[in-house]
Amino acid sequence: MHIPDGLIPAQVCAAGYAITGLTTWYSLRQINRKPDPTAEIPKASLLTAAFFVASSIYVPVPPVSVHLILNGLLGVVLGYFAFPAILIGLFFQALMLGHGGLTTLGVNAAMMGIPALVAYHLFNLRQGLGQVLPDRVALGGFAFLGGAVGLGLSTLIFLVLVITTIPAGFDVDTERQVVLTLSLAHVPLMAIEGAFTAMLVLFLHRVKPELLEG
Amino acid sequence: MALVSSDAYVQGTSMVHRWPPRLKLVGLGALMFAFAMVQQMVLLLPIAAIAAGLYGLSGLPLSLLSHRLRYPGLFIAAVVVLLPFTSGDTVIAQWGWLALRQEGLEAAGLIVVRFVSILTLGFILLGTTPFLTIIQAMRGLGLPKILADMTLLAYRYLYEIAENLATMQQSMALRGFGHQPRRWGVSRRTVQQLAMLVGSLLLRSYEQSERVYKAMRLRGYGYGPGNQATLGRGNANGQFRAGWGLTVGVLAMAVCIVAVEVALSIG
Repeated sequence: MHIPDGLIPAQVCAAGYAITGLTTWYSLRQINRKPDPTAEIPKASLLTAAFFVASSIYVPVPPVSVHLILNGLLGVVLGYFAFPAILIGLFFQALMLGHGGLTTLGVNAAMMGIPALVAYHLFNLRQGLGQVLPDRVALGGFAFLGGAVGLGLSTLIFLVLVITTIPAGFDVDTERQVVLTLSLAHVPLMAIEGAFTAMLVLFLHRVKPELLEG
Repeated sequence: MALVSSDAYVQGTSMVHRWPPRLKLVGLGALMFAFAMVQQMVLLLPIAAIAAGLYGLSGLPLSLLSHRLRYPGLFIAAVVVLLPFTSGDTVIAQWGWLALRQEGLEAAGLIVVRFVSILTLGFILLGTTPFLTIIQAMRGLGLPKILADMTLLAYRYLYEIAENLATMQQSMALRGFGHQPRRWGVSRRTVQQLAMLVGSLLLRSYEQSERVYKAMRLRGYGYGPGNQATLGRGNANGQFRAGWGLTVGVLAMAVCIVAVEVALSIG
């Protein structure tokens, strides 16, 4: 789910870079407010590399297989480091694998990274709203929400961007219907990504809870 | 995961190889954005020629380009197959219900040429500049310290973590993962096993990061005036005078493309 070079107009690419610049500035500002921001850089960097590598894993759903995006999980585990991590991961993908592109890096980072920050805040809601639920249920439930919403928002942004900017000459109603249909087709994928995130968060909570303090 | 080693051709001696990294980044970046702006069919040939000319000047083998275009071409291929048959009103050929439309064909042509031309410039950048030098050049152009350090550290451990994952996946396969009889739909057990695989990978990386951090602190990371310690800080070898000529030439081409595009779209 990357937008490649040459597909969308340069104005959209420039707007993507502007949004990514602002969100990076905001994320770095939040990171710099921590007591010792440098202490978390190695952790965030190695986890960035691990997420980048893990994004190559496919979940077999016979007769096909599903590629995980993991942006919601990144938000849940890395907090404000998720946005820079996604930006770096996409930069690696554009240069090393040819996925996405350098002119569309800003758009792709905003498309994946902002939902990751939303997922982080959703996951943090467990501390307030989740008080009434048993610990594991709150943890798993909000992790599921973070993973599913992270993917869902990214998919929606991707579809809206691609369908409205490709010079296809569709009318507004057709565009709306295509976006709606394709978005609904992604609901099962959101459920898989959410379930994956919830299982992983419960696993980490059991064996290394400090990893979820991001 | 097919991570491409980017440093196979960076030792060349072509003019593009000797182009100072910061100027190369600015020049090629501006040209990429100029290419992305192109909407006029008349500009397609010039941008393809500029990309081909620069690729020729870099001395990189054609096999590198054809090999690396293979995967990213898939998404574009899907767009190219669909657009000429779904977009536009002017039918130029018809086979039963299937109609080839001029507007769709033009849109597909624009997308393909822009895509290949921009990607070629990206390959020139990566193929002629070591990855670490690219990051240093970006740092010199104002990339924030945290982003530069994260990029360098993530790159340093990327291949190691990829090897870790490959070993873990091989162990899983040897224990029978993936050999169960296939049933349609998603299996809860499979998702759980994959979640634990990724969880273990994150754990190993996290534990390694703690050791790395301690080693970095012992070497002074995070100390110094204004907490400015940055990994891999290096000197840019910007003494190549012809590099300025190349930069001016490339920027002039970018400006010309944008000017022609604007003039044609207004007129």
